[in-house]
Amino acid sequence: MATIQNSYNAEYFRVIHPLDDAPEQKRSSEGLGTITMTPIVRLSLKVLRGYLIVMGAMLLYHVLDLAGMLHQIR
Amino acid sequence: MMEAEVEVAEAPVAGRLVRRSWQKHLLTFLMVFGPGLIVMEADNDAGAVSTYMQAGGQYGLHLLWTLIVLLPICYFVQEMVARLGIATGKGHAAMIYERFGKWWGHFSLFDLLFVNFLTLITEFAAISLALSGLGVSPYISVPVSALGLTLMVVTGSYLRWERIVIALCLMDLTWFALADLVHPDWAAVVSAAVAPTMPAGEITSSLIFLVIAIVGTTIAPWQLFFQQSCVAEKRLRFSDLKWARLDTLIGATFTVLVAGAMMLMGNYGFEHGIRFEDPAQFAGAIMPILGHFARNGILLLMVNAAVLGTTAISLASAWAYGEVRGWEHSLHKKLWEAPGFYATYIAGVSAAAFIVLIPHMPLQLVIISVQVFAGLILPSAIIFLQLLLNDHELLGEEWVNRPWNNYINWSIIAVLFALSLLLASQVMLPNLFN
Repeated sequence: MATIQNSYNAEYFRVIHPLDDAPEQKRSSEGLGTITMTPIVRLSLKVLRGYLIVMGAMLLYHVLDLAGMLHQIR
Repeated sequence: MMEAEVEVAEAPVAGRLVRRSWQKHLLTFLMVFGPGLIVMEADNDAGAVSTYMQAGGQYGLHLLWTLIVLLPICYFVQEMVARLGIATGKGHAAMIYERFGKWWGHFSLFDLLFVNFLTLITEFAAISLALSGLGVSPYISVPVSALGLTLMVVTGSYLRWERIVIALCLMDLTWFALADLVHPDWAAVVSAAVAPTMPAGEITSSLIFLVIAIVGTTIAPWQLFFQQSCVAEKRLRFSDLKWARLDTLIGATFTVLVAGAMMLMGNYGFEHGIRFEDPAQFAGAIMPILGHFARNGILLLMVNAAVLGTTAISLASAWAYGEVRGWEHSLHKKLWEAPGFYATYIAGVSAAAFIVLIPHMPLQLVIISVQVFAGLILPSAIIFLQLLLNDHELLGEEWVNRPWNNYINWSIIAVLFALSLLLASQVMLPNLFN
């Protein structure tokens, strides 16, 4: 809790630093495995793969160009 | 009811007593404050100083509006990061591994580590350049900076590190004094900020890519990883979310204002016909007109920007790598209690500093590589973030994005994908744009 109303005097508030406070039970992914492949997840990952393939192809082209190999092919 | 009683019983007798509700809110906010400001202001790193000043130097006040557009974008992206960090108590890299599997995890992690390392080289290059302008040899300035950056984190206290870094962030207030020194036409500044205008002449490719560079420098991939890990490190609680949001909003606003002040400095060069390649050159050129304060101020702020960028980026790497490897990865730990985590930080800082000292180092190649690999990692990291924030199994109904969040965030993602692709295309296929 960020703040706790003091039990012996209602007019006071106790403010505790997050690092000094009792740990909270967070949302855990334990036992969930990987994310469920809903249509939006599947589409997003496909778009991401496509994007990375385009970027990879451009990078390869650039490296070959810098190495002068494209010039030789032409 | 039972749960509440248990919580109260388990809460340690610590903290501070205050009488008023507003005091409670203010004190709680001050305790939560930090990660949002740091992640935003550290993004005004050496590369950002250079980009914003170039924008002002080449186009005057014409690109000031871009910063106003970027403010809500920065906020919405980083708010998701803070929310995910508070809900799960884990870093972004760990969440990608756990929910998307090893392949995407490895890809995100190693791309992040690589682009972060290249960025560190540019930060040390800026330190070397700026302090050379003040007469300090790079062989002194670079190793001393690396040592200082290491000592900042090895004290075994997250709070000590955070306080030092917040103090460094606040030093950026000096940008406002410098901007005031050049007596800008404030009415014109406000007008340019809220009403987009185009520079005289046609829209050129260099103008478009400067706009993209501003976007790229304002939203960097390491920020997503950094703030989530930082929030987890600070152990922010569910109830702290509203204060973490305010922290993020203040950080975004402060950062945009500082970036605006940098553009105003560049605009001074634009108005007075001062051409410059980098901020250090600009600082030297304005000294005869504005004096030593302006020159030394710009050079020292450049160093400050690089130091802020270096510590945040190195920590983003160390936290991400440490959590994926399952090592202790906390600034709360002593050096010998988290050796792998600290070794990652120190190795990154030391290697980047060493490379900068190599004569004739191809800095331009490093800068281009940063742009290319940032173009790979930013869209992927942000799409994982958006999918995680829609992961009902993981977050439940309370923490997932609302529909309006999704409309905004998918729009931001589409724009970032397009801009990243365009920037990378311009870097790798320049002939297409000539």
